Amino acid sequence: MLVHLANVLLSGVFHASILFLVAAGLQVVFGVQRIFNLACGSFYALGAYVGVSFVQASVQAGLPPGLFVLALVAGGLCVAVVGPVVERGLLRFVYDRDETFQLLLTFAVVLMLEDVIRMLWGTSPLSTGGLYLLYGQLKVLGVTVPVYNLIVIGASLLIALLIGYMLARTKFGRIIRAAADNREMSEALGVDMRRVYVRVFTLGTLLGTVGGALVIPATAAMTEMGIELIVEAFAVVVIGGLGSMRGAFVGALVVGVLRSIAISTYPELEMLLIYLIVIAVLVLKPRGLFGGAAA
Amino acid sequence: MGAAGVMLSVDRLNVYIQASHILRDVSLAVGPREVVCLVGRNGAGKTTTLRSILGYLAPQSGTIRFLGRDIAGRRPFEIAQQGLGFAPEDSAIFADLTVAENVEISTWTRKTSRTAEERLALAYAVFPALTRYRARKGTQLSGGERKMLSIARALALDPTMLLLDEPFEGLSPAIIPEIGQSILEITTMGHAILIAESNIHHVPEYTTRLYVIERGEIVFSGPPAEVWKDEAVLRIIGGTPSWQSFR
Repeated sequence: MLVHLANVLLSGVFHASILFLVAAGLQVVFGVQRIFNLACGSFYALGAYVGVSFVQASVQAGLPPGLFVLALVAGGLCVAVVGPVVERGLLRFVYDRDETFQLLLTFAVVLMLEDVIRMLWGTSPLSTGGLYLLYGQLKVLGVTVPVYNLIVIGASLLIALLIGYMLARTKFGRIIRAAADNREMSEALGVDMRRVYVRVFTLGTLLGTVGGALVIPATAAMTEMGIELIVEAFAVVVIGGLGSMRGAFVGALVVGVLRSIAISTYPELEMLLIYLIVIAVLVLKPRGLFGGAAA
Repeated sequence: MGAAGVMLSVDRLNVYIQASHILRDVSLAVGPREVVCLVGRNGAGKTTTLRSILGYLAPQSGTIRFLGRDIAGRRPFEIAQQGLGFAPEDSAIFADLTVAENVEISTWTRKTSRTAEERLALAYAVFPALTRYRARKGTQLSGGERKMLSIARALALDPTMLLLDEPFEGLSPAIIPEIGQSILEITTMGHAILIAESNIHHVPEYTTRLYVIERGEIVFSGPPAEVWKDEAVLRIIGGTPSWQSFR
């Protein structure tokens, strides 16, 4: 029983760490730019596909397979260039428009990127095969866990800490918090919002693509993975509170672990359980657990 | 205008918001070390004038020159970087940031001959009360402290000129002289100041020139002493000739 529980918990936390990265990207973009970026799911999918390609390329190039994590991260970082392209090419034209308009535009990006993925990688799922277990397995609390999962959990925690440090201590972080609070006043203090927007959106994209690249050894890259993740990221954001980083962290843990519990006990309930929680939060605490405070 | 000796000159400015003609041929000028007050009732067009100067609103016609350069149509951050500081009516303190963080932002966005440390020291020197609250969040400040922080934050930009929108509004009478004194100190540092004020009794005695705006038009301009003689204008801004502000 206890072993079973630990198993469920560990796989939940693994999923939560990926979910956190994507949700953090969603939150930072919403916090500063006030755009609910549905395309964060597509960035995640894109990161996954590019991750597979980078790993394949690195193996073919004769690099030791043990370095596949580096290839994944490199892939995730490289493909983040779509961020500034989407921001400068599309989003900047709609900042002053209605939210519905912005939402529709990011949804259009979702559909477009899905087609781009089909065009470049085809429709069949791709995976990195057995690389996943290359780092071996470990016994934690009586459960065998792939070391890779622990690496991802650690990396996600590290990124969470880095984001926290960035927001609290760096100039860029303070400007982000100021801009999230009051865009006009930030401009009156000489802050160039165009530059802030490009950087923030690139950061948000990067969190998504790196998340996608890191998840790929544990699963297969599929065209619909982006949409699936948007739904979960949406739940994370509702539970945690829109625009809050702490909310993304706690929300991702809640959704990740609940999903894992549902899958192990009654798989049909997977999404239902998450939505019950979402509804409960919306009814009892509409702004989410950490809602209200920006970034 | 645009002659030497004029820091900011606004000439026949016309601004529309949606279909409404808000500012009609507004002209005003502020010279070095001057304290100019733009007085008018709520809705007369004071804030619109300031927002147009700051680049938030695009004028339909007219020119805005700051330090000899035409700034109409420039973006707000560029205008700020050229040395125009702003403290808005609602103070617009960044609630999530501490007092110290609020003040230091503009030292990163605009480089001047003064170092960041000097600029921060100056801002705190004008409002010594803020020194005690450096670590406090914006949410934990009183209305008066927020006003002070807002002006101190604009000062840290090391501006050549300051725009203050209703710096005395909503403050307890006890604190108004304190802020008025601080604004006077700012002028002795060589900054020019343009104040938008709805209460004629709050116009500081060191004001060098006064403009009265009504329904988007400048209806009076001249030294403050003159306005008390003009009954028609006084009726508009609700001043009583016998009673003057904190002198």
